[in-house]
Amino acid sequence: MRLNVLIGGKAGQGINKISEIVANVLTSLGYFTFNYRDYGSLIRGGHNFNVLSVSNKRVGSIESKLDGIVALDDLTIEKHKIELKKGGFVISYKGFENFERNLNVALSGALIKVLGIDKDLLLKELRKELNVPNAIEAAEKGYESEEKKFNFGKLKNKIKIMSGTEGVVQGFINSKADWYFAYPMTPATGVLHELGLRQNGKHKVFQAENEISVVNMALGCSFSGKRVMVGTSGGGFDLMSESLSFQGMSEIPLVVYLASRPGPGTGVPTYSTQSDLNVALRAGHGEFPRIVIAPGDPIECVEKVNEAFYLSERFKCLAIILSDKHLAESEFSSDRKPNKVLDVKIERDLPGQKIVRASSYEHDERRHTTEKPEVVKRMQEKRLEKYEKIKNFLQRNKVEMIKIYGNKNAKNLVIGWGSTKTVILDALDAIDKSIETRKGKWKFLQVLYLKPLSDEIKEEIEKVQEKKGRVIVVENNATGQLGRLIREKTGLKVEKRILKYDSRPFRSDELAEELRGMGK
Amino acid sequence: MVKANFNTKEEITWCPGCSNFMILEAVKRALASLGLKKEEVVMTTGIGCHGKIFDYIDIGGVYGLHGRPIPVAIGIKLGNPKLKVLTFAGDGDTYNEGISHFIHACRYNSDITLIVHDNRAFSLTTGQATATSQEGYKTKVEPKGEFLKPLNPISLALSSGASFVARVNAKNIEHTSKVLEEAIRHKGFSYVEVLQDCLIFNLEINNLDKLMYKVENRDNKERARKLAEEWNYDSKTGKIPIGIFYQEKRKTLEEEF
Ligand SMILES: Cc1ncc(C[n+]2csc(CCOP(=O)(O)OP(=O)(O)O)c2C)c(N)n1
Ligand SMILES: [Mg+2]
Repeated sequence: MRLNVLIGGKAGQGINKISEIVANVLTSLGYFTFNYRDYGSLIRGGHNFNVLSVSNKRVGSIESKLDGIVALDDLTIEKHKIELKKGGFVISYKGFENFERNLNVALSGALIKVLGIDKDLLLKELRKELNVPNAIEAAEKGYESEEKKFNFGKLKNKIKIMSGTEGVVQGFINSKADWYFAYPMTPATGVLHELGLRQNGKHKVFQAENEISVVNMALGCSFSGKRVMVGTSGGGFDLMSESLSFQGMSEIPLVVYLASRPGPGTGVPTYSTQSDLNVALRAGHGEFPRIVIAPGDPIECVEKVNEAFYLSERFKCLAIILSDKHLAESEFSSDRKPNKVLDVKIERDLPGQKIVRASSYEHDERRHTTEKPEVVKRMQEKRLEKYEKIKNFLQRNKVEMIKIYGNKNAKNLVIGWGSTKTVILDALDAIDKSIETRKGKWKFLQVLYLKPLSDEIKEEIEKVQEKKGRVIVVENNATGQLGRLIREKTGLKVEKRILKYDSRPFRSDELAEELRGMGK
Repeated sequence: MVKANFNTKEEITWCPGCSNFMILEAVKRALASLGLKKEEVVMTTGIGCHGKIFDYIDIGGVYGLHGRPIPVAIGIKLGNPKLKVLTFAGDGDTYNEGISHFIHACRYNSDITLIVHDNRAFSLTTGQATATSQEGYKTKVEPKGEFLKPLNPISLALSSGASFVARVNAKNIEHTSKVLEEAIRHKGFSYVEVLQDCLIFNLEINNLDKLMYKVENRDNKERARKLAEEWNYDSKTGKIPIGIFYQEKRKTLEEEF
């Protein structure tokens, strides 16, 4: 059972509140939800909408056909009625105008009623959060205005709602990180705000004058012995490039959170893409090791940010967490607890106690400047050796560099990374329940570590190719960056690709259709 | 107490007779006179002739990128406020490549000391004009001479809110080291502009010593502004005040946290 409800209105009308109230109530009943947020780059007016997908099973995407629309204005109905299934419901703002700021609360009430949920659960949820006068009255009026259409009873699942942003924040806090430096840029700003609001003496946040300052402050702060992260999106990340290279030479630990939005240039600021994999892998002049990790859901954000801190400190290297707008700002349900937290210990010499030197200039082991060819060569090799060391460490400690879902012996292999993970899972289940039953014709290989890349990827592709099966890469970009990376590292060409680059995420039903057409 | 010896054994690659040697000497004297332990002082440096100082003082620190030594220093200080943090930067570093950091550092009032080696040229890249080069300065880029007027970094620092502003003459080691001591002792962002000669490139700005005279002004901002405007970095006549232009007590960035 799966429902998709679109909630639309003008920016500032509070559509997020509706998704939040309804999703929280559904969560308390044990339903999984996924909330997609679609908004333009404006503060008031325009047309924003959320799509809330609800299921009794794990869900991490939305579908293209709607079961219902909640409209806070006429435009919402005009724009989206063609997506409505036959017999779909529409809850309109009409009749509730006098609730003004509580219009969204009233419509939440109406939607809860349509879903056939007890009013008490709604009121309980509202009392938990809202102290706005007349909110309860609005919710009750809304509730009474509609008829039950569905019957969402109680399930046993224990679920938590989390966005990718919250996952990153949790990973930061779990790592006992000390400082976050950033300059505002969607969609990384969520972490800046969240960490800013949660400053409580344990960690601190500073918004510097630009991204170049951000990353240089971060390197200085890390040098002094702190666990430090910076956050940005494509343009700001570009500005940091030279300093990432400085990191490579100075070997000062650094964690970078890169949340992508479509480029080039200013691009499509409030929408999503996976087009920054290349730049994450290669930004910065010269040759130096780094780690690039792409979590695929909020729980993985918690885990991978912690791993990034651990590895960057242990190997004195750059660790990039690659996310995007879709992962950062969508709200996911999860019934899984994150892996055990790795203790990020700082065990290097620190200024204040010793004379400690770090340099962007080529240097010898004492970190004094050098231009001697034999020293340059030796130091270059010393830095690059870390790449193998990191890879060995990850393999030895069974860190999840990839994950495989579905039928291990399936003929059809889908490969993806980052925010497409959950939509691929949903699409494969829509085809033949491959993920749920592990018995269908499909399996999914999720790449979590883009650098270093797991050797198992090659093995998996070869296994399927031997069987004359099908390998398909799915990416939210125009040039198939993961596919190219796989080819570069394994020599294997993945023939089939499904690429989406209109700045919007895949819909699971549409992706399922495309995959079905390609599968064997 | 045995005073720390801040010498290193690295080969010095500045031109013979460069005024950077004098700045180096003044810094070491100031550190010794303040009785600071080597471990408690760290430096950040930019890239240019001045940046080589990283190898010549026996303290730790970060040899950063061209234009970026200020944010690195602020980061260190935020990370460990107990450290004394010195930043050595060039005029190219500070007033060209990284001018935004300079202006914001004045606002933030992070408790670091910025020492600008102002030889009024990009010397390590063979002498192109910087923002403090005089109008008419002939370079390979501008064979007919620099067509822009210089900016006045002292005025800029004052209007950007620096809490300690000084200018010194590299050749006057005694005075420079005394001002540096005060700058390092100052709680807040201290900015010391060091006028230095360059024996190879911007020769016209050499030997301005005869125009220089000492001043000392603390909390009178109006007077500081007037002193700053006495010399516009362009004229070869008139008077060039050196010394402490301004000092005020203000909450530091680190105290905000
Ligand atoms: C991003 C960047 N741009 C340009 C350079 C080349 N560069 C090296 S030193 C320098 C000029 C330094 O001038 P200044 O800061 O005044 O130092 P000086 O050599 O005069 O002491 C430049 C432009 C660089 N290293 N990095
Ligand atoms: Mg210079």
